[in-house]
Parts: sequence; C-alpha cells; structure tokens
Amino acid sequence: MGNNPYDLIIVGAGPAGMTAAVYAGRKGLKTLVISKDTGGQVNWTTLVENYMGFEQIQGPELIERFNRQMQEGEDLTYKEDEVDRLEVKEDLESPKVFTVNGRNTGLHHGRSVIIATGKRPRMLGVPGETEFRGKGVSYCSTCDAPFFREASVAVAGGGNSGVQAVLDLLAVNAKKVELVTDQDLTADQVLIDRILEDKRVEIHRHHHIEEIIGDRMVQGLKVVNRHGETKDLPVEGLFIEIGLEPNTEFLDILEKNERREVIVDCQCRTNIEGVFAAGDVTIIPEKQIIIAAGEGAKAAIRAWEYLMKKRFGAE
Amino acid sequence: MAEVTVYTTPTCPWCQKLKTFLNDQGIPFNEVNVAEDPEQAREMMSKTGQRGVPVTTIGDQVVVGYDPEGIKELIQ
Repeated sequence: MGNNPYDLIIVGAGPAGMTAAVYAGRKGLKTLVISKDTGGQVNWTTLVENYMGFEQIQGPELIERFNRQMQEGEDLTYKEDEVDRLEVKEDLESPKVFTVNGRNTGLHHGRSVIIATGKRPRMLGVPGETEFRGKGVSYCSTCDAPFFREASVAVAGGGNSGVQAVLDLLAVNAKKVELVTDQDLTADQVLIDRILEDKRVEIHRHHHIEEIIGDRMVQGLKVVNRHGETKDLPVEGLFIEIGLEPNTEFLDILEKNERREVIVDCQCRTNIEGVFAAGDVTIIPEKQIIIAAGEGAKAAIRAWEYLMKKRFGAE
Repeated sequence: MAEVTVYTTPTCPWCQKLKTFLNDQGIPFNEVNVAEDPEQAREMMSKTGQRGVPVTTIGDQVVVGYDPEGIKELIQ
C-alpha cells in the first residue's frame, strides 16, 4: 500500500489549490499538487481589480506570482497532469490512505486530499462546436472579438457574460450581433439597457442553437424556438458564454449538489473524512479569487489538524 | 532556429501567459497585434486557418492556443 504516501494531495492548482499548497508547506506537510495547469479560470481573466494588494493586475501575471510562491515551498512536488479517479483505501493504517490517478503520471497516494479543481466554461454540445473552435467558435470575447470587426457574429448566453460579449463585439464595430438565449435575458439591467439601445443587436429569446455550420470557418447557425420553428442565422462567429461547469466528473465518492458542486461545511470538510474541498468547485456561492484563496488556506489548516489528530490524538 | 511569431490581441490573457512562457524559456519571438491591424488579422487567418488567438507560427508550423508542450517540441 503506497510506500511513503504524501501527507497531502492537492488536486487543482488554481488560487485555492496554490494557497493550500503554501499553507501546507508552512505546516511541514509533504505535499503533492497535481493539476492540468496552474491558474485555472484566472487564466481566462484579462484584468483582476479586486484582489487585495494589487489594484489592477493581469490574470496570468497574478497566477505567476501565486505559482512562484508555491514553488518555493519545501517538500512540495508539482505534477502537471489530469486526475481522473479518487479512491479511499481502507486499511489498518491510521490515518487511512487515499489514491488519486493521474492520466499520465499514474497512481499517487496520500493521507489527506484537498479537491480544488474549480470550473470550466460550459459547452453547448452541438455539432460543429468542436470542429470550428478557433475557426469562428470562441469562449473568450476579450481574446477574439477583434477578429469580427465589420462582421456578423452571434453570442450564446443571456447572462452577464453573454451580454458583456455583445458589448465587446459592438466596441470593435461588429456589423451585426445576434444574441441567442434559451430563456430570457438574466443579465444586470444596466448591461441589458446598453445593448437594447444599439440597432446592430438582435435578441433571440427562447431559442436553442441546434448546429454550427460552415466550411473552413463558421458560416452560420441553425437555431430553433420553443415551437420547433427553425431559422438560419448567417454569422461568421459564435461566442459561447453559457456559464461554468464544476470539474467533478471523477468524484463519484463525494456528495454534490444539483449543480454537481462538492458539498462542504464551513471547515471545508466533505462527506469523506480526510477529504477536503476548496474554491469554485464547492457549494460556496461566491466565486472569487480572493475567496478561493481563503478557502484553500482553511482547507490546508484543516487537513493538518486532521492528520495531527489521527497520528497523535484521540479518535 | 526557425522564426517564432505570436499573434495576439491586447486583452487576451492566454496570449499574456504564452509570452511569459516564451520569455522564461529564452525563446525570441515577434509579436503581431491583430487587433491593431485588420490586414494582419486577415493574413493570420489565411496563413493559419485560425480566427482566434493566441496562434504561434514556428517557421511554417502552426501551434493553436496556449500549448507550451507543442511549442517546445517544435523548437527542438
């Protein structure tokens, strides 16, 4: 059973995971951080203006600073890999051992785990979405809006992100912007008012996108309303802003809410003793970098206390 | 070493991350800001078949998106 398991395995290296790693290191825990990348959603963020101490900083630059501090930790191992399984190995040892499986790096064993895998942009799941990614389909209007100067383009999503994408496209002089939402607009009224007053915007409420069509690049969308009536929208691009999904597919053993976020208490504890969770992947409603960092610190302190109790205390 | 060109827009965070990676690796590169120049944007689209940034060309090879491993392989 796993020679020399880590004291702590942290899955995910966004702000929650990286802060947890720093706190774990300062408590003298032998720690593995295993993650697809460093930074997570912060890598999608052009400018961060509400992380204390940095009035204005680019997302990737903030992450680079988190990463440098994390890498200074003693007894820290970082592996870039995606975890696809978490298991508990009950045995006579206490504290018990957990196993995570990295797709490329294989099995890793630890006496405690923090899940900090965050969220990813939700996909539509329609034909053409994968084929035309980067060829008209985009999930980042701050990245790619400039390609649609004087073009007709669509946005999927009626929340704040979708409406903001419409504004980004109007700002680069798009010729026409078709906003498609399967409900009504749910964005803040002040943003809705700004797009309602622009004649270049057409809003398709209660419409689903059935297919993205094109040749070498996107040429149009097939949309359908709730009565089954279809129409074609001739557009050169589609920005998909329909929300975020938690990265919890591999977490069968953890209890989750209806949005598939990991259920935690105020001590970052999950339903499995020794497994903690922090950041946007949990049910904590505020999805902010500063809150993720705070939750990561809490989870690491809790993990250390759990290990101390198991090794030295009554329980 | 083949010439490295990175196509970017100023508000693209992945582009920022890619440039930091190239600088950390000591890989010299040209940067083309396609937001500034529609002609460059059209050229990028016809050369690479992409309408999204970042895109990196290494000689004739194209790397789409933030892909440090892909770039390292082609540089070597």
